[in-house]
Amino acid sequence: MAGAASLRQIAFYGKGGIGKSTTSQNTLAAMSHYFEKNIMIVGCDPKADSTRLILHEKAQDTILSLAAELGTIEDVEMEQARLWGKGLFDKETPGGWINCAESGGPEPGVGCAGRGVITAINFLEEEGAYDEEGLDFVSYDVLGDVVCGGFAMPIREGKAQEIYIVMSGEMMAMYAANNISKGILKYANTGGVRLAGLVCNARMTDKEYDLALELAQRLGTQLIHFVPRNNIVQHAELRRMTVVEYSPYSDQAREYKELARKIVYNDMKVIPTPITMDELEELLLAFGLEDEVDESQVGKAAEA
Amino acid sequence: MFVLGFHFPASMGNHIPDELVAEKIADVDISDVKEIKLLMGTKERDKEWLSYTNKDTFLFRAMVHYFKEENPDRVQKYMIYMNRYQMSEISKRVDAADDETMKLCHNLDNMEQFRIEVA
Repeated sequence: MAGAASLRQIAFYGKGGIGKSTTSQNTLAAMSHYFEKNIMIVGCDPKADSTRLILHEKAQDTILSLAAELGTIEDVEMEQARLWGKGLFDKETPGGWINCAESGGPEPGVGCAGRGVITAINFLEEEGAYDEEGLDFVSYDVLGDVVCGGFAMPIREGKAQEIYIVMSGEMMAMYAANNISKGILKYANTGGVRLAGLVCNARMTDKEYDLALELAQRLGTQLIHFVPRNNIVQHAELRRMTVVEYSPYSDQAREYKELARKIVYNDMKVIPTPITMDELEELLLAFGLEDEVDESQVGKAAEA
Repeated sequence: MFVLGFHFPASMGNHIPDELVAEKIADVDISDVKEIKLLMGTKERDKEWLSYTNKDTFLFRAMVHYFKEENPDRVQKYMIYMNRYQMSEISKRVDAADDETMKLCHNLDNMEQFRIEVA
């Protein structure tokens, strides 16, 4: 495997729309700024929005789009595909640095997005991106859950070793978290991947903390942090910045700093114990997210 | 595993006994604190001050520890959500007999932001 022995390869997984890219960029920004960690972000989402807050850009050119434009992947140069962070995260700025690449994907409805992830990682390895002097972390930001084998690629190929699942107290987010745990379990013995914790990107629903904590414990892991909702995240995003850079002394920056500290010092990496769909529904019932269903009413319209 | 921000080695699993968390804050000096003041809420019209004076509890000790940590000037401090939920969670088990504390735990469980001061 490329990279120094001390290199930690982490990944953020979670349901689409849960706030993975926002959470990961803000957290990685905090790891770099407050803890002086040097990080490479590999965006594995065809949306290519995993790096925009670090680069202060709309979206960087993806490795697949560059390959398409130039002819083949062999024509792509590292300086085109991997960009250095702006502002606080530039290599010349004191503290940690961040550099960024996006895999990209095929046109909607055509081809396999997972192939883009494979192509991107192979490209970065061959070009020596994992051997960058001082690199502490590689972070993969991966779309959706692992029902598509392509998106399980960072796990499957033994690239990402520590998985952080971004979730909330909503049913589908918890369903996806459980599914991702199943994916990790599948490859845990062959590739050494481990679940490192759940990050609750809170919707601020009732009992959300308790529910997220219970799910984490059932999966055999930890709820590593509960990130509250705060409008400052959106204000920062409008300026294409992380909160850490936009307002480093804000309450929300303190939340990301705390999550960053926990990831830096985290040693709890487990083989998860996914639960059944029935158990998941029981959990939601127990915390009042679903009403108990009267079996005699199943399939009947409201106005019979 | 992290509880109240303290790191417990992974070998201890994902259920840390309350006694071990209490040990971490056993040495905090609470002699110079008579009252904990919590500002609940962010919107001006909804802000509410809560006072807590029962020194003989886990919750009081945990809050004083949180306030004093990396706060040499003893200025008002934002409370990390996860820490305060964990304080409330443990306090509900170990301070259950104290009504004042349980009332405060009920407040700590909600979605509002809290800031802490001591007097």
